[in-house]
Amino acid sequence: MSMAKKTKAIVQTFTPQADYTPVDSDFVLKDNAGEIAIDTNFASQSFWKDVTKRFGNKRSAVVGLVFVIFIIFMAIVGPHMNGYDYSSQNLSTKNLAPRIQGIENLGIFDGSEKMSTTTGIKKVNEYANKKLYDTFYWFGSDRYGRDIWTRTWTGTRVSLIIAVAATVIDMVIGMSYGLISGYFGGRTDMIMQRILEIMNGIPRLVIVTLLLLVLKPGMITIIFALMLTEWVGMSRIARAEMLKLKEQEFVLASKTLGAKSFHIIFAEILPNIIGPIITQVMFSIPTAIFTEAFLSFVGLGIPVPQCSLGSLISDGYNSFTTHPYQIVAPIVVMALLMLSFNLIADGLREALDPKMKEM
Amino acid sequence: MRKYIAKRVLTSIFTLLVILLVLFILMQLMPGSPFNDEKLNETQKATLYAKYGLDQPVTVQFFRYVKNMLTGDFGVSYNISKNTPISQLIQTRLPISIKIGGAAVTMGALVGLILGLIAALNHDTWLDTLCTVISVIGVSVPSYVFALVLSYQFGFKMKLFPMLFDMKQAMKSSFLPSVSLSMFTMASIARFTRSEMLEVLDSDYMLLAESKGISGFSLIFRHALRNALIPIITVLAPLIVDLMTGSLVVEKIFAIPGVGSLLVNAIQSNDYNVVISLAFIYSAMYIGIMLVVDILYGVIDPRIRLAKDGK
Amino acid sequence: MRKTKAILAAVTAGSMVFGLAACGGGSSAYQTTTAAAAAETTAAAAADTAAAGGAETTAAAEASGEASTEDLKIMMETPVESLDPQQATDGTSFEVIADYTDGLMQMDADGKAVNAIAESYETSDDGLTWTFHLRQDAKWSNGTPVTAKDFVFGWQRAVDPDVASEYAYMLSDIGQVKNAQDIIDGKKDKSELGVTAVDDYTLKVELNAPVSYFLSLMYFPTYYPVNEEFFNTCADTFGTSPETTLSNGAFVLDQYEPAATEFHLTKNPDYYDADKVSLTGLDYQVIQDSQQALMSFQNGELDMTLVNGDQVDQVKDDPAFKSIGAGYLWYVSPNMAKVPELANDNIRKALTFAIDRTAITEDVLKDGCKPTFTAVPPEFAAGPDGSDFSADQEKFKDVCDSDAAKAAEYWQKGLEELGETGFELEMVVDADDAPQKVATVLQEQWQTTLPGLTVTLKVEPKKQRVQDLQDGNYQLGLTRWGPDYADPMTYLGMWVTNNSNNYGLWSNADYDAIIAECTTGDLATDAQGRWNKLYDAEQLVMNESVIFPLYTQCNAEMISTKVSGVEFHPVALNRVYKNAKKSA
Repeated sequence: MSMAKKTKAIVQTFTPQADYTPVDSDFVLKDNAGEIAIDTNFASQSFWKDVTKRFGNKRSAVVGLVFVIFIIFMAIVGPHMNGYDYSSQNLSTKNLAPRIQGIENLGIFDGSEKMSTTTGIKKVNEYANKKLYDTFYWFGSDRYGRDIWTRTWTGTRVSLIIAVAATVIDMVIGMSYGLISGYFGGRTDMIMQRILEIMNGIPRLVIVTLLLLVLKPGMITIIFALMLTEWVGMSRIARAEMLKLKEQEFVLASKTLGAKSFHIIFAEILPNIIGPIITQVMFSIPTAIFTEAFLSFVGLGIPVPQCSLGSLISDGYNSFTTHPYQIVAPIVVMALLMLSFNLIADGLREALDPKMKEM
Repeated sequence: MRKYIAKRVLTSIFTLLVILLVLFILMQLMPGSPFNDEKLNETQKATLYAKYGLDQPVTVQFFRYVKNMLTGDFGVSYNISKNTPISQLIQTRLPISIKIGGAAVTMGALVGLILGLIAALNHDTWLDTLCTVISVIGVSVPSYVFALVLSYQFGFKMKLFPMLFDMKQAMKSSFLPSVSLSMFTMASIARFTRSEMLEVLDSDYMLLAESKGISGFSLIFRHALRNALIPIITVLAPLIVDLMTGSLVVEKIFAIPGVGSLLVNAIQSNDYNVVISLAFIYSAMYIGIMLVVDILYGVIDPRIRLAKDGK
Repeated sequence: MRKTKAILAAVTAGSMVFGLAACGGGSSAYQTTTAAAAAETTAAAAADTAAAGGAETTAAAEASGEASTEDLKIMMETPVESLDPQQATDGTSFEVIADYTDGLMQMDADGKAVNAIAESYETSDDGLTWTFHLRQDAKWSNGTPVTAKDFVFGWQRAVDPDVASEYAYMLSDIGQVKNAQDIIDGKKDKSELGVTAVDDYTLKVELNAPVSYFLSLMYFPTYYPVNEEFFNTCADTFGTSPETTLSNGAFVLDQYEPAATEFHLTKNPDYYDADKVSLTGLDYQVIQDSQQALMSFQNGELDMTLVNGDQVDQVKDDPAFKSIGAGYLWYVSPNMAKVPELANDNIRKALTFAIDRTAITEDVLKDGCKPTFTAVPPEFAAGPDGSDFSADQEKFKDVCDSDAAKAAEYWQKGLEELGETGFELEMVVDADDAPQKVATVLQEQWQTTLPGLTVTLKVEPKKQRVQDLQDGNYQLGLTRWGPDYADPMTYLGMWVTNNSNNYGLWSNADYDAIIAECTTGDLATDAQGRWNKLYDAEQLVMNESVIFPLYTQCNAEMISTKVSGVEFHPVALNRVYKNAKKSA
């Protein structure tokens, strides 16, 4: 936000004025929000400060971050915002269309829905038919009368936990593997890379599906299945970075001072490659969410009555032609999450790699 | 170069063997048996086990299995289609899946490439945002939702395309499934093209080309896209196989007699032999495609060729 | 510039060729099969119409796709598992086999056994010997007549240990055919089976015990004939293609491959009863997605389709909508042997009384399923006087009902006896749509009505669930049972001590005695006496709440108003098309 204002201020200062007193911003490079300002390289010693700044300048990335924060906030708070809980059923209020207090008077979200039957389209308002004047389901209710609002946010929470946990474990395994392989090189590297190639040759989804048939589906098993193959990409990045860094002076210095290999790998080099790794994490999270959604559809997802975005979408899918609103909320949240994580990842990648300058 | 190819082929063969082992272990661990049914008693089950050799020691089963798999004898189906050789089941289904998958990849890759190009050339404008949004929708909405939306709109409402797969009009009736399958490929390719193009456009040789006065079209297509295409080919390979798995659900929705719907049925009815054979075929195809792409990659990109030969 | 274009073009063309080549492969493969099928039909049957039918399919592939207007287009949920009558076990396969094969008997519209290949039959006074006289005008589609030897061969296959038929027990336990059990166990040779061809058109069957419902078994596909000579020409490939199946029924299979999602049968012009068959053919389409199926039905791509519970709201005003009894009884089995809490009668009563069966059928399933309060579901077994065994659903009202207040009472009593304040139970459920819905509702009903009870669900693929129940590795199990023949014994036989489907390991000597008396004992020939005894047996099961019956399954079906005469049965053959008509 503040960056945008600043840019505007810069533009304004360049309009010619009669009695002109130089201001600070005159000494900022033109058409450049500061990211390649010569001074900053020396002025702000911190690499991370730079990154934050560049990231902040990327509007789409900031928007993504805001969305992710908002969705995380809703995943925490959302399920408690109305009186419903995610698993209790009420068959007398099932399949009700979205209805929101206040807004209903505008003619939208008033609980009515168009139902296309084989004998023609009819508009029904089940709230009115069932005399439920004080009942409100903001996103509607599902076929057991459970509140879709509560379930959507509970599902978001589950999906996020699964995705983040799987990715973090991936990161730890993949990073260690890549770093060790890259650092020691030679024979160790050769063997570790062959193992990696084999791992990479195994088609992911096939194995994950089979694995979930073997193990009892549940949050832990899904996380386990998801992390199984995803770490390969992570380790590739770590290894490439390691190869770049290991010949540098600070590593040599550390070695001369008698540091142990593992100290060098994890204490000296690791902090230097955390950037690309985090970017990869941001790309991996949406992939994990998506894979979980696929598993839900094949019936290997999170067990009922728990829900994830994937299981909500496949539930909603089953009533798509009867009550289409049931699929809308989870799909929108999922698409937003995917979009946001991708935007953040893009922004982060560009922020970390200053060479990737704006066109 | 020859050494590089030989090495890659060897790795691939070894990977295939590892997969055989992994699949066998997974199968042994699979819960239930293909012969669980209310109507069967213990003696009958024992007879069936004996009939299919499932009562023999695990080691015997394993060697028989490896031998059979490698010689292309996948055995018979236990309960999807009783006693039918699996090779016969796959024979007619694989071409259909490949055809629909092939159409999806072609469509997805072309549209994706165009979208990615537009986005990269108009970096940070509304066009870029639009392309990003389209591609994010492509990767974030599951293909089965696309399938249903498309068949509802174009099949049911507008009656432009048949909603179910029909051998008699294979081309027309595979359009909707191909489109719904292609969305993910399209989106992934678009994203990748965009970032590759951005990187290439940013490179020094592009700056050189630009300063030499090469302009517009030629600059983009001759210098930029060509270099960006090489890494795109590598992502295309795993996407093709992802597509095969994605087809699991789409084939079910459009009632397509392909391998995807066969696998779903096999999983649901514990038909071990079919599951394991299909997983093996999927893996073999995946490894094959990866191998071809790696070798192609070496052929196309001199840097890799030289680097590998130098070793 | 030129070079760039060339590369781009190459890439594009490459992928195009890939796509096109694949296309070519796919469709040509199809055409070859059709052509082969057509050729085979011509050669084998020399039947003009059948050949024309085959040719028509091929022509249709090239031309407009306009099929014969009188074919009935039928949706099926699952593909055919096997077209071998002695290997098939599922309703889908049975239906298709029966489309083109006639047994000794067939079902009439009310499900009664009427003559088919058998012209007449007689039975000895002790009920142990049946003699069937076969009609002489029945022919297989390759021209050979259908003889008694075909039945002998078919029945021997059914009990042959090498064939390992899952339905062998239809001949042994249920049919009581002489020596059947010994042959299955490998103790006797299959030639010793109690069935002999006296001459080409006389079949003699010997039984161990009189079986009152024996005639109704004769329309069950396991008892269908197989022509030995033809079977030997195809051996391993029997029943996998139109060329390796032989018809003696109303239709002939002319387009099929194993596990096909689409296949076709044409009217059999040589059928002895061909005048009565008005359809030109049957066009089957396997569709696993119910929304897609309904949309196809609305577009006219199907004449008959199943709809699921949620869709009923969409179609309930449609004249094409029908609810059809499927015979399956859904029930919950409590594991009395392993779970001490469930061994308590009051706890079991509390659980069964806490179930609001009407809410399940009316609000959740909505496809016409009927709440059931008896151990034998209604509407499949008619007694000697023609009355329905379970017509009265209130007869066990004091031991099985839906009553939350009573449930709470039993619950308190049970808890006191156990000295507990609450506990947790796990219910195993199939991973399919309807059972999961029902289980979710049951879970909620139990937890709200019975304070202190926590119910968790364990969802597993059906095969795994069955295994868990049979191994006794469960607490509560949601399961179903479909009748194999039109007699209450198909249900009551399950709760005999040590029956593999008596999941809860319930054991009651009185009960066992009644069942034994009714199967092989004195009552086997006394129809009315047996019938009354069976009521007593059911009473025992219900008194001790051995199972918690839930509902009798109905299928919600859409049947085009142009179609009439399709016969639906809850037993053996679910749909029979012989008398069906379709107006233009």
